[in-house]
Amino acid sequence: MTSATGSPSESFFTRHEFAIRRLHSLTGIVPLGAYMVVHLATNASLLNGTETFQSLVYLIHSAGAALPLVEWGLIFTPLLFHAIIGVWIARTGHSNTGNYKYPSNRRYKWQRITGLIAFVYLMMHVWHLHGWVHFSPWIKLGDQLGFAQFRAYNAASTLAVAMNSLFWQAFYLVGVWACIFHLANGLWTAGITWGLWISAAAQRRALRVCTAFGVVLLVVGTSAWWGAISTDPEAAKAIEDRMYKANVEAGLVPRSVKKRTQPDPVLGDSSGDDAASELISTGPLSDAGQ
Amino acid sequence: MIAPIPTKKNPPSEIRVRVLRQNGPGEEPYWELFDVGYEREMNVISVLQKIAAKGKNVDGKKVAPVAWDCGCLEEVCGSCTMVINGQVRQSCSALVDRLLADEPDEIVLEPMSKFPVIRDLMVDRQRLFRALQRVKAWVPVDSYYNLGPGERQSTKEQERAYPLSQCMSCGCCLEACPQYNKIELTRNEGETDEQFEARKLAAFDEAFVGAHAISQAMLFNHNPTGKAIAGERLDALMGPGGVSACGNAQNCVAVCPKEIPLTTSIARAGRATTFAAIKKWFET
Repeated sequence: MTSATGSPSESFFTRHEFAIRRLHSLTGIVPLGAYMVVHLATNASLLNGTETFQSLVYLIHSAGAALPLVEWGLIFTPLLFHAIIGVWIARTGHSNTGNYKYPSNRRYKWQRITGLIAFVYLMMHVWHLHGWVHFSPWIKLGDQLGFAQFRAYNAASTLAVAMNSLFWQAFYLVGVWACIFHLANGLWTAGITWGLWISAAAQRRALRVCTAFGVVLLVVGTSAWWGAISTDPEAAKAIEDRMYKANVEAGLVPRSVKKRTQPDPVLGDSSGDDAASELISTGPLSDAGQ
Repeated sequence: MIAPIPTKKNPPSEIRVRVLRQNGPGEEPYWELFDVGYEREMNVISVLQKIAAKGKNVDGKKVAPVAWDCGCLEEVCGSCTMVINGQVRQSCSALVDRLLADEPDEIVLEPMSKFPVIRDLMVDRQRLFRALQRVKAWVPVDSYYNLGPGERQSTKEQERAYPLSQCMSCGCCLEACPQYNKIELTRNEGETDEQFEARKLAAFDEAFVGAHAISQAMLFNHNPTGKAIAGERLDALMGPGGVSACGNAQNCVAVCPKEIPLTTSIARAGRATTFAAIKKWFET
């Protein structure tokens, strides 16, 4: 046995299997699971009104220049790690629910199916609304193709416009539900993996708690989805314009071109001095945002 | 044990048995049908004995008897484990009347799919036993002098350990596990016995160790004498194919004929390795 372990023929994955799998489990909960809860709750606030949602987005974007760091450090990198390792893990298993129709075995299978759905969904979701990277030509290209549609200072209206197609509405509903099952069930399995719930009775209790968590999150997530497709973009834009003007005048929010729908009727379009300086500071491009 | 059940009201005169056969390691498997006369209170072992006595398949063609493994005939040795009507179990405790109650048309017998077939229903469970070696599933008692009586175990500890000690290494938990995949190597040209064996063991040692071995590791880690090498067992469980390769499908505990709380052992191993990893990280 000792001659087998540590031999150079073993792959990196094999040698570090325990650490990689535990890191996979951890990233699923923190930061990804925690972020998802905050994200869905923030979006569900849209049901309360454009003002509530836009205020929360202002709060998130108050991170300013640190935002890409937060996005890549705490969301995208863990997400890509979790997704790629997840596909590797899914490939190591062979579902046998045909002969062994136990509920836990079915959940095992669905954890992998929803994981794959979530992978495709999230790759598309980030590209559809966010655009992945804050690189102006890239965003501009995406915009022309109908992607990278979200503008943080027109949060509700750009979201509502982007969601104004049956395809995206169905895509998001399936995607959000898949993510929610994956998180709730993943929380339960992680509790076993890390040794939090041990006995069969404790695991049953934990399953009930995780199910309840999943149901609550399902309501929140579906509310977030409904908020996005039930919002009237015109009315939302009027509110956003009013909020943007007031916030800029109060000095609470910096002027921005790329976070606003263009042309911007409130504080002018990209020809403004502030806008030009912003472009110089954020991207290697001179004529973006027009 | 399972008490005899009342015999069927209208017993069939013949039982149709479908067997997945294979003439040798690496050869193509094939299905063969047999008819055997019905008798009261048969089990799958007596069905296989009747097939061997008859020596003919359903077409009346003379065929070699179906090969299978068995030992105790009372569900404590685990050697007669096979897949019966799609579910893994011991053939000695698989009662024909009950099988026919669920599936009156035929009884389907297959070898376990996670181990290399030797012949017909006989499989090579070497990897199962190798896994017990990997986790050092024993009490280390070798010494040059008398170590005296062992530490006393509390009743509570005994009650926790006893169910785990009932494991008969049958392989049901592994057969039902979606994370446990078959490893069947063939000897390369010019490879010696020793080289082939070493290659095989290396392949076994980086694949999933299995629920039975995780549970045995927990049994011996909580034994007053066995815990002397608890760290070595946890090292094995934190190595390639260790406890982290478990996917929590929990089929193992559902199919275990001895009703061993395997998923509790897995969670316990999860906790122990969590603490061991933290300790390693900060103390060494």
